[in-house]
Amino acid sequence: MAAAGGGGGGGGRATTSGCGLKRRYSPHDKEEETMNQDQSSKEDWCGRLWNGMDLLKDVTENKHVLPTGLEGIDTLLGGGLRQGQLTEVTGPSSSGKTQVCLHSASHVAVKHMGVVMYLDTSNSFSPSRIATIIDGTNDLSDQRGFDLPHKERLKTMMRSIVCKSVFDIFGMFEVLHQLEVSLLNDKVKSGGRKICLLIVDSISSLLAPIIGGKYPQGRSMMISVAMILKKLAYKHNLSVLVTNHMVSAGNGAVKPALGESWKAVPHVRLVISRVHGSNICTATVLKHTLLASGRTAKFVVPS
Amino acid sequence: MGEQSGAQNAWDMLSDEQSQKHITTGSGDLNDILGGGIHCKEVTEIGGVPGVGKTQLGIQLAINVQIPVEYGGLGGKAVYIDTEGSFMVERVYQIAEGCIRDILEHFPHSHEKSSSGQKQLQPEHFLADIYYFRICSYTEQIAVINYLEKFLGEHKDVRIVVIDNVTFHFRQDFEDLALRTRVLSGLSLKLMKIAKTYNLAVVLLNQVTTKFTEGSFQLTLALGDSWSHSCTNRLILYWNGNERYAHLDKSPSLPVASAPYAVTGKGIRDAVSSHHKRARVT
Repeated sequence: MAAAGGGGGGGGRATTSGCGLKRRYSPHDKEEETMNQDQSSKEDWCGRLWNGMDLLKDVTENKHVLPTGLEGIDTLLGGGLRQGQLTEVTGPSSSGKTQVCLHSASHVAVKHMGVVMYLDTSNSFSPSRIATIIDGTNDLSDQRGFDLPHKERLKTMMRSIVCKSVFDIFGMFEVLHQLEVSLLNDKVKSGGRKICLLIVDSISSLLAPIIGGKYPQGRSMMISVAMILKKLAYKHNLSVLVTNHMVSAGNGAVKPALGESWKAVPHVRLVISRVHGSNICTATVLKHTLLASGRTAKFVVPS
Repeated sequence: MGEQSGAQNAWDMLSDEQSQKHITTGSGDLNDILGGGIHCKEVTEIGGVPGVGKTQLGIQLAINVQIPVEYGGLGGKAVYIDTEGSFMVERVYQIAEGCIRDILEHFPHSHEKSSSGQKQLQPEHFLADIYYFRICSYTEQIAVINYLEKFLGEHKDVRIVVIDNVTFHFRQDFEDLALRTRVLSGLSLKLMKIAKTYNLAVVLLNQVTTKFTEGSFQLTLALGDSWSHSCTNRLILYWNGNERYAHLDKSPSLPVASAPYAVTGKGIRDAVSSHHKRARVT
């Protein structure tokens, strides 16, 4: 990901040469002098320089997984939703995508891992369902909430899940921008719980009205929102979970929506399906950065 | 975490949700599988073959939303968007009469009250509080949904919008299928927004078509996969022998379930085989 000179600043003649490498400057005496005096701010522009060992240390110490609470899915994911990554769950209507989102949010809340931000495009966020899931976890081993009565514990957990309805792509850009600003501000202050999971259910319904025509703006907005989500995940150590729906692929077959350009965007892609009339679902890995794809697991959505 | 305008935490939403009233369908069994009735702030799609009772249910909901608060209803008004001309006013009158008769049966002393501002239990008043739009093309449908936001801002007592039926004008004569998908996805987001912003129920009636998959014909909702994610809840009405059944196919909080119902002279009621002793009004 290039440090796209969007930050401006420096002389207009300075050039960047890709991620992680120092700038090369074309000779401009005065500018070069001031530049040289200002060594540390130059490095700030192109982001931190990592070596392999730094990365390994970061991954082992900082990049945790957030379990969804659904056993089959967690196995396929290698433990849960990885921080710093974008995970996609796709599947036909009523296959359990929203349930995976609700379970992930509830599980993070129960384990007090941080704040969950849930962006809902189809009025499907159900607080009563969240309460039922949390109640079902029977988490008596949790030390922090141990002395409080049940209702107080539920209240603390549910207050860490924040939900916002988004009904168009521009609203989405606005929400993500506000989120970015508030995350940057929180770095300066201290205290307050930090967001660790961002859920978008579903990103495809916001993009469906604008992609697929002869004008490319829709597709570029899709790529744009994808880049913003991944940047948020990377910079602020979030797990991002999005849902996608299915469209027909000809001859009665179905495929994930959002097309070819989207396929490369998520780090992990799962496709789920549900047997009609039961609550046993099947999940298959379409893509994973660390584990082999094609593996399948069954999971049960508890009632 | 920074303040997001319009964001709420789940605990506050829970208490809001628990104080929400649902719109009764007229059948106790149906209400049960729906968690009390049709939910406000949500888009519910009701699909079925022709003749199974979709329009009957649509009309019943447009009447039942008007049941006054003192009788356990929402006391709201209805918007009915008719795309095929299925809205038969004489039948609406009949259903309104049936609803009033059941209210009076349930609350025997109500006719003695007559405070001002209370809705008079007359079928004429129920009919007067249904705002009816008849549309004849997909452009009119797009226009009316765009107009709804302004209309609802001026008529804040509307608590249900019924569209009967939402896919009719998009099934024939639409050559560019990709355009159709884009337009419909845009409409569905607008309807979601309306439901949430104005705290009302949006009910979309949809036809069923047969689809040949896995070697057999299956009934699926018209416009299939690309439309199927555009609702919060989905109810499928179907025939089981001679009885009508409703199957809750999609819901974020309720389990999948089926229940029988009947279409009577008075409107939608419990099936004869139901264990509910008498028709419930609330």
